[in-house]
Amino acid sequence: MLSSVLGRSLHEIRRSFGWWALGIVGYVALIVAVWPTVKGIPAIEKLHNSYPEALKAFTSFGGSFEFGTPAGYLGAELFSFIAPLLLLVAAIGAGARSIAGEEEAGTLDLLLANPISRVRLALEKLGAVAIEMLGLGIVLLAALEVSARVAGMRIGFDKLAAASVSAVLLALAFGAIAFLLGASTGRRGRAIGIASALAVAAYLLNSLASLIKEIESLRPISPFYHYAASDPLHSGLQAGHVLVLAGIILVASAASPLLFDRRDLAV
Amino acid sequence: MSVIAAEMLSKDYGSGHGVFELDFEVRQGEVFAFLGPNGAGKTTTIRLMLDLIRPTGGRIEIFGLDVRARAVEIHRRLGYVPGDLRLYERMSGGELIRHFAGLRAIGDLAPAREIAQRLQLDLDRPIRALSRGNRQKLGLLQATMHSPDLLVLDEPTSGLDPLVQQVFHELVRETTARGGTVFLSSHVLSEVQQIADRVALVRAGRLALVESVQALRELASMRVEASFAQPPPADAFLRVPGVSELERHGQEVVFSLAGPVDPLIKALAAHTVLALDIHEADLQDVFLDLYRGAVEGDGDDVRESVANAL
Repeated sequence: MLSSVLGRSLHEIRRSFGWWALGIVGYVALIVAVWPTVKGIPAIEKLHNSYPEALKAFTSFGGSFEFGTPAGYLGAELFSFIAPLLLLVAAIGAGARSIAGEEEAGTLDLLLANPISRVRLALEKLGAVAIEMLGLGIVLLAALEVSARVAGMRIGFDKLAAASVSAVLLALAFGAIAFLLGASTGRRGRAIGIASALAVAAYLLNSLASLIKEIESLRPISPFYHYAASDPLHSGLQAGHVLVLAGIILVASAASPLLFDRRDLAV
Repeated sequence: MSVIAAEMLSKDYGSGHGVFELDFEVRQGEVFAFLGPNGAGKTTTIRLMLDLIRPTGGRIEIFGLDVRARAVEIHRRLGYVPGDLRLYERMSGGELIRHFAGLRAIGDLAPAREIAQRLQLDLDRPIRALSRGNRQKLGLLQATMHSPDLLVLDEPTSGLDPLVQQVFHELVRETTARGGTVFLSSHVLSEVQQIADRVALVRAGRLALVESVQALRELASMRVEASFAQPPPADAFLRVPGVSELERHGQEVVFSLAGPVDPLIKALAAHTVLALDIHEADLQDVFLDLYRGAVEGDGDDVRESVANAL
């Protein structure tokens, strides 16, 4: 486990990964457990359907806003906000910590005195972030599938998987941006701050653009749009949207080692 | 063969900070000490050597290879202890060693364990619980466990207790004995004068002088204290070459001696000497002199180079 930078990076996150997983499982279980008590109660559905458009825009996950079906319920309660939020926080933290965290802790000098190139170091660190997020995605999907079965919620595994994959891709996009910022500046706090601000801006843009005609054409700029646009809980994934998110991940990931390799490391 | 070769190496941080136009060569098998006060540019030079920062001018090669283009190759043959040694706090010493051994593709950890034993370092303890001295030991261990061809040590002896310092000296000697080279920095000359073959004096980012310890020793004047049965005449030692009288208290006379000791001994023999004490030159004093630019040239090569450098 400790014989590579990738291995050590995974070794280091084993505890925090456990806590993240616990949080995701707990939240998913709670949300799904409530489902049997709210489904088929017309009053609740009516209440939600009478939400103002703005609120619907901020709590919808692709497609139309509906509360009475499993897909609509999970979209509103989980995938519209909490699931991407949890994964984004984890990904941005992991991405920023990877290089900048080690640089600020002062261990990077000693690490790079070993026969490992900066490019390889960055790629292994990126690999660790990807594996961590993939792991959290699997935890999310497993928690959804198991609790949906227990609660008798009828929604296909493929739909749950599509939404989970989309959420992981969205998180990884901002995680890769945080990684890029950390690798190119060496400042962890700055990387977290800028990546988080970008995520919030993207979320707001996507939500507001669905309400305001004048800026609707800007919607595709936001990764959140591509996260939800195919309405994964109803219709699965669409290659175009997946490719946009994957493209952000790839570009940020490819630029990171190059910029990291060019600069002076902080003392 | 030169192991490290710096040519007009500069790292300009602006407003006079950095290192400027460093020219030096470190030869295979020698212990080369980079000396200077804090802030003189020692760590900057070492980080340039390790490709952690990039020069703004000039070039530097290690093992004849460019430090940037061939960093991985160079680092495979190099061991490094940073001045500000930071380690993975959540690991144990053993885990750190296993990690670095993995990166270096070292399968056999027996040499590492042997060095740990000599350093009396407990590898099972978590690093966060280690004292400064023990961290320093761990730093030495990870730098020497693969028998590197070049050891780069930034202020290695600060924080080491005398016993560990002795093991440290052994490790340095073992490195040079098998043909390895040692580059170390220090701000205290007395720490390195026993192990260094040559010293480079760096001041405000520039090399003031590169000289062998032997030559510096010769440059330093010795202090001779003689106690006579009767006070010798005031002019008794005036004509002895290299000798000047510093103090006189009755029968006791203190001389400073630059150059060979024999003429003074011959002159002393004309009188009844009760006690004689000759102190070895203290390089610290020489350096202080050099720093003040107080050494006056008299034709001696070293003095000239010093005078030129300063």
